[in-house]
Order: sequence, then structure tokens, then C-alpha cells
Amino acid sequence: MTDKEQYKRMFDTVASFGMEPLEVCDIMKKRKKHTYMNKAAAAAAAVFLIAGSTGVAYAANVGGIQRTIQLWIHGDQTNAELVIDETGSYDVTYQSENGSTETLSGGGVAIESDGSERALTEEEIMEELSMPDVEYEDDGTVWVYYYDQKMNVTDSFEDGVCYVKLVHGEETLYMTIKYDNGYSISPDKYPDPKSFN
Amino acid sequence: MRQSLEELIECYQKSLYAAAFHICKNAEDANDVVQDTFVQYYTTKKQFHDEEHLKAWLLRVAINRAKDISRSFWRKNKIALDDYINEIPFESREEYELFETVMKLPEKYRNVIHLYYYEDLSIKEIAEILRITEGNVKMRLSRGRSFLRDVFKEEGS
Repeated sequence: MTDKEQYKRMFDTVASFGMEPLEVCDIMKKRKKHTYMNKAAAAAAAVFLIAGSTGVAYAANVGGIQRTIQLWIHGDQTNAELVIDETGSYDVTYQSENGSTETLSGGGVAIESDGSERALTEEEIMEELSMPDVEYEDDGTVWVYYYDQKMNVTDSFEDGVCYVKLVHGEETLYMTIKYDNGYSISPDKYPDPKSFN
Repeated sequence: MRQSLEELIECYQKSLYAAAFHICKNAEDANDVVQDTFVQYYTTKKQFHDEEHLKAWLLRVAINRAKDISRSFWRKNKIALDDYINEIPFESREEYELFETVMKLPEKYRNVIHLYYYEDLSIKEIAEILRITEGNVKMRLSRGRSFLRDVFKEEGS
């Protein structure tokens, strides 16, 4: 057996042992606040969230930023702790409706138009956290959450696609959802279902 | 080109998990990295020239994310690698020793070794993924292999 074969077999064993089964719905759940938004809409959302921040503490000792923010979770506003490290990765910790402590994580790298990668900025992270969210419940219902709005869109799907108009203040977003297959948002028009995923 | 998430999971989950594990050194973080990488793919609108381009991009994102997590100050206390090794059902003592030795390599050697041995990537491809020169890849590969020489029980190449 060659050294490559030995190495592959060894790491196949490691992967088989520790790798968790993964389905698209798991990725969608984790995606939560990660979606596309163009700059105009994102800027408006960022202003809202920054204005809603209740405190700032620059954690110089850990090389990142820690602050308390107001986060909309399932249509309810709650205090959350946002911690951003020097690479642009972040954790947001909050108390859920049932009292448990939940953490949203994200960040890492952003892709520039020329294909290069860089860490997310704090502003971009705040933008991510303000984006609409789609959740699929165990009972088969589909919900859209956006600030204080929660909409049951289960019956709005036609041929697996649903279109939702979201309004918050002067901001209007057009959302196209493909059932169990992602969604896209634009401030101008409903994204073509063929244009994503 | 773009592929569906179902196809990505089928084709690349194991590769990404292995790439992440050899940096994070624990299963929980490696599984997180895989999910984060697929989320990143889903979020970006980047188009890929072909499967090699897509695979290289996924590996680069996974490796960067794994490094981020490994260096995060809030990294949770995980099960120690020494304890974890004993739970993995290796088929032989040689496999166990190879794994143990690989995981003790400095990260910069481990990255190159993994991409070369596990992913069958060329020197050029590894250089592009890790954003280092080809000369640097060769040097790291050579030094990494010297550490592993005693644990590889080669019959062939």
C-alpha cells in the first residue's frame, strides 16, 4: 500500500467516525441571517441596527469587539451579545423564548468582485443580522421573519416558489423563496427563481 | 457553473470535514466548518469555471474558516485530541500512529501534507489554495514528509 493510500484510509476512518450527517435543511437553518442584500437596502438596515445598539465595549484584550445589540428573533426584539473577532467571525448570544441560551455564528470571509477574500467588517455583520429569515417548522409550515413581522407563507407557494414583499419603515424588500431550496432578496424586484441556488 | 447543495454535500462533505479536522483537531468544530463553508457557498453568487475550481474554492474557504475557529478566543473547551484519538476505530496500530504523528506536525506542514496526500492535489493547486508560492509548498511537503517517514510503511511508492 502506498503512503497516499495509507493516509487516505486513515483519514477516511477519522471522517467516518466524527462526521455528522448533513442535509440541506441544516445548512438553511445555519444560514439564518446570511443572505444577499444590495448596498442600498443594507445601508438602511445597518442604520437601524446601529441606532438600536445599547452599548459598546471594545474588547482590546481579546483583539475583537464586544457589544450589546437589539436583535429580532422570531418577530420579538431581544438583547443579544455580539462578539466579533479580528478575522471578522462573530458569535451572537441571546436567550431564546424557552430560556435557553442560543448562539448564532457567522462571518469569516467575504468574496470581493475580483474573487479575492477578506474578513467581514463590523458593518457587514450588522447587515447580515438584520436580514429577513425563512424557517421551516417540523409541522410543515414555512415562516418569514423580518424585524417585528412574522408571516406564515406555507400556502403561498406555487410550483415550489413563493414571493413575499417585506416593508419596514421606508424600506421595501422583495423576496423569492424556493421551497426548501433557499431564497433571495432584492430592493428592486422579485429575484428570478432561476437566478439562485 | 453552480451545483446544488445536495450535490455539494454528496461530493465534498467528507473532503471538507477532513480538511477542517486536521486544523481544528476536533469533530464538533470540523462539522461547524463544513456547514459554514456550504453557507458561504450558498451566500456567494460566484460562478465557477469547473469542478476543480469549485473544489479549490470550497477547500480554501473551509481551511480559512477552520483557522478562524481554531484561533477564536471564545473557542469552547473541546474534548482533548488525545482522548478523542482513542475513540476512533482505526483498523491498525499503524493507522493510529500515522494519525497521531500527522496531528503533531506544525500546522503549516500539516496543511500541505493533507492536501497532497488526501486530496491528490498538485503543488500548483496547493499553492493556489493556501496562497503561498509553489516553492514554499515543495519545502513544506518535503519537511512534512521527513516527519512522517518512519510511520509510513510503504510497500509501493
